[in-house]
Amino acid sequence: MAQTRGFRTANRRYRFLFWPMMGIYVAVILAAKFFIDEESAPTWLNAAGAIAATLPILGTLYAIRRQTDETDEYTRMRYLKALRDAGLITCGVTFLFGFLQIFDVVGSLDVFWFGPIFFFAFGLARLPECLGRTV
Amino acid sequence: MKNTLRILRTEKGWSQAELADRLDVSRQSVNAIETGKYDPSLPLAFAIARLFGRSIEEIFDDEAETAAEAAE
Repeated sequence: MAQTRGFRTANRRYRFLFWPMMGIYVAVILAAKFFIDEESAPTWLNAAGAIAATLPILGTLYAIRRQTDETDEYTRMRYLKALRDAGLITCGVTFLFGFLQIFDVVGSLDVFWFGPIFFFAFGLARLPECLGRTV
Repeated sequence: MKNTLRILRTEKGWSQAELADRLDVSRQSVNAIETGKYDPSLPLAFAIARLFGRSIEEIFDDEAETAAEAAE
């Protein structure tokens, strides 16, 4: 797959989408915190808050997908390797916690945390690249 | 795959970052190609060849072909 836009354009388009999405995400979380009392609010309002908080995350995931498509081939290979490693780490952690729960070693863990675990693992996998190492 | 990219780049007096800018790839891409850790695709190899006004074969050495010729 040849690059469609190039490294700089892909980075610029990524940032152009990523930062507004993060801004919206923070604004939605703050608004939900101040204006929605999840214990007394109707279900539809809680659901609306949850969906509103998820949409900018979906936008960020789209930004990652688009950048992976548009950047240069070597950078794309490194991103895909990092995404692969993050996926495998998250899968491994999911199985570990799943079995620990089945064997009553730990309590239940909110499904929400697997998203942050994935992005933490993605960050770890990209660390060598951020330090300027080639693979 | 061996190549003469580093030599051609230094002849032009460009840094890896300058060459990366001209090819619109990351600096790490240029470094990976120069050190033989990554073989570019045909479109990128053509872009490199065009930039230096050379043919692909002049820049990239097909080691398998060289080894086959040596064996003969």
